[in-house]
Amino acid sequence: MLITGHWYKKGSAAQSSATLRFSNELCVIETNELIVFSGHLEEINVSDRLGNVERKLTLRDGSLFATQDNNAIDKLFKSKKANQYIHTIESHMGWVAVALVVTLLTSFAFFKWGVPWASTKIAHALPHKTNELIATHTFDFLDGYIFDESQITPQRKEEIRNHFNENVAPLDDSGLAINYRIHFRQWSSGDTEIPNALALPSGDIILTDSFVKLSENQHEIDSVLLHEMGHIVHRHTLQRVVESTFITTVIMLVTGDGNSITDMGTGLGSILVSSNYSRGHESEADAYAFKHMLSANIDPQHFSNIISRITAPLGKTELHANEDTDSGLTSYFSSHPVTKERVLQANKYHECFKKGLTSCQTDTDEHPEEE
Amino acid sequence: MKALSFEGSGLEYFKIWIVNILLTIVTLGLYYPWAKVRNHRYFYGNSTLEGRNFEYHATGKQLFIGYLISISLVIIYVIIQNISPIGAFIALGVLFLALPWIVWRSMMFNMRMISFSNVRFSFDGTLGQAYINFLLLPILLLVAIYGPIIGAAFSSILIATSSAFVGILTALLFIACYIFAFYAYAWMKKRNTTYAINGARYGQGRFATTVETKGFAKILLKTIGVSILVTIAAIAIIMAISAMTVGISNISNVFESLEDPEAMQEIMSGGLALAFGLFYLIMIIASFVVLAYSFVRNRAYTYANSTLDNDITFASTLSVKSVTWVMLSNLLLIIISLGFAMPWAKVRMAKLVLENTQADTQLNLDTYVSQQQGKQSALGEQIGEAFDIDVQVAF
Repeated sequence: MLITGHWYKKGSAAQSSATLRFSNELCVIETNELIVFSGHLEEINVSDRLGNVERKLTLRDGSLFATQDNNAIDKLFKSKKANQYIHTIESHMGWVAVALVVTLLTSFAFFKWGVPWASTKIAHALPHKTNELIATHTFDFLDGYIFDESQITPQRKEEIRNHFNENVAPLDDSGLAINYRIHFRQWSSGDTEIPNALALPSGDIILTDSFVKLSENQHEIDSVLLHEMGHIVHRHTLQRVVESTFITTVIMLVTGDGNSITDMGTGLGSILVSSNYSRGHESEADAYAFKHMLSANIDPQHFSNIISRITAPLGKTELHANEDTDSGLTSYFSSHPVTKERVLQANKYHECFKKGLTSCQTDTDEHPEEE
Repeated sequence: MKALSFEGSGLEYFKIWIVNILLTIVTLGLYYPWAKVRNHRYFYGNSTLEGRNFEYHATGKQLFIGYLISISLVIIYVIIQNISPIGAFIALGVLFLALPWIVWRSMMFNMRMISFSNVRFSFDGTLGQAYINFLLLPILLLVAIYGPIIGAAFSSILIATSSAFVGILTALLFIACYIFAFYAYAWMKKRNTTYAINGARYGQGRFATTVETKGFAKILLKTIGVSILVTIAAIAIIMAISAMTVGISNISNVFESLEDPEAMQEIMSGGLALAFGLFYLIMIIASFVVLAYSFVRNRAYTYANSTLDNDITFASTLSVKSVTWVMLSNLLLIIISLGFAMPWAKVRMAKLVLENTQADTQLNLDTYVSQQQGKQSALGEQIGEAFDIDVQVAF
């Protein structure tokens, strides 16, 4: 067997053409002038194969024989299979296909179940102080740039607050000792006022003037307040913060090596992925509201009434309960479950309510992340 | 002058890349250092000049301990961050102070792990210079940039209460400060480049550069000019398209419906999604042109003014057009393939860059010999990577 290549003296850049001859268990490497190696294969240290990268054979005296003839080297050193496993996987399409499928499945499972599961766990393990920290800046921002002062009479405010403190806040059975506070603000976009309710992770719930005006009875307000409490109890804001950190970190790790240009695309992708999760959060908050309405003897129908009324008029916003500041962005990607589906859920709970039940088994109880 | 070449292929690298990911998943991340070694070996090993190639010599084992330490540091940091924000602030401060050391260690390790034609590179810049280059100068530059803004805020109070003369004086001062900041940036760029190149060695040989502040300042000025032109062009194109396809009335509709997802979806499905995508694309192209311009010009300038032992010269022949095109098409490729075309994207970029890198072929290379150096620890490099500090010592 004859393999052509180059020979380098130990540590030297000087290159001379050389050949490797193998016969009778003896391996001889020679340049034009002299024999530089003569011995057994075991005395040669071969680099691992990697694609078709030039192969380096380190000889006894530290000198180097380099060759492009990867296949011949593999044949020659076939007894030294140990460090060739990875190349075997890399060079068989079957294995590559397996790797591709496993990677696809794991990443799918990771984003579908792993990230929500882990971020829920992490969000609930963090102290409540974290929530307050996130909320202070958010509230200041909203007051500074989004909201105006409320025009609702102090009597009406007091009425809603008292009713909430006496009848709704005590329903919270999470044991988290959250201090709920109700705030009133005006929110308008152009000429139209926006009916909406927002929850900050600290326990602050903001009702807009237009929302208060549109509500027809106390039960409707209660139902929406319960929905917002659901967001707070389930720590949805924190979960989203954790989720987006998670996704960005993982994507950075996989795509690796900090190519800033390709990061641009992956960053965009992570926004889209995380906006998908928040739909699950809405359903979870809905389920929380329905459950507690039943135990407080409030007809869940009220919830579907108010959200239908808010959504119905053209040009008016849907009940937008996302907790953080990027309200424009999240509604852009439509983070809410379609109103019809929410009404359908309300109807299911309404049936239970009519039967006089205080709890209700529906699909969303078991799979709060799916619609 | 002879150009380098890249001999890898997208498909070949795809197989290596996907197996790396598989093994990293299966080992819950522990395989990562070995995966990184294979990636580096592939790209260095396939970079050749006249039948001689580069090699990456670090082993997974070498990187593994540093990797474990850096993961622990990240976890500790995350925990501190959650327990006390002040603690996290202090931790970040410590990291900031340690940064030059990390960069310095990382440069030494990385250079030592690369060889060309059987001879190792190395780096012998000093730690003191690293602190000047990566801590002191950036702080000074920040002061130079933000100082005038804060100063202006103070002086606006003065202007309100005093004569027009003071106003003009502060305005002049403001402009002077920005000219200073501009030069400070160019000067820092010169210092950083000089540090990286003059500290680099090939065997017993030494790289040297004669880059000057003036050269970088010129490039910076032109880059600013290009970004202004490109921005104007982008806005003009966007306006032309929107006037043609959408019409002004529809645009105001879009803004009204921003608060309403369902109305939004209706309009989006009405072809606006396409328009929005187009606007976004134009903005991306514009920023890529500026990025590519800055990269290509700075590289050409640095290469033209650097030598190995005042003997071997270099050149970069990259063009703004080709770099923009490869960047842009790579981005689209990656988005469309959900990231699975990454290997092809990387190979394309490597090919473009190497084929436009030239070295003097009157090579006296045969006289170069590896110098002995103590054992290198990968610690600095891995910490740097864990905190996403990108150290560029590539050719």
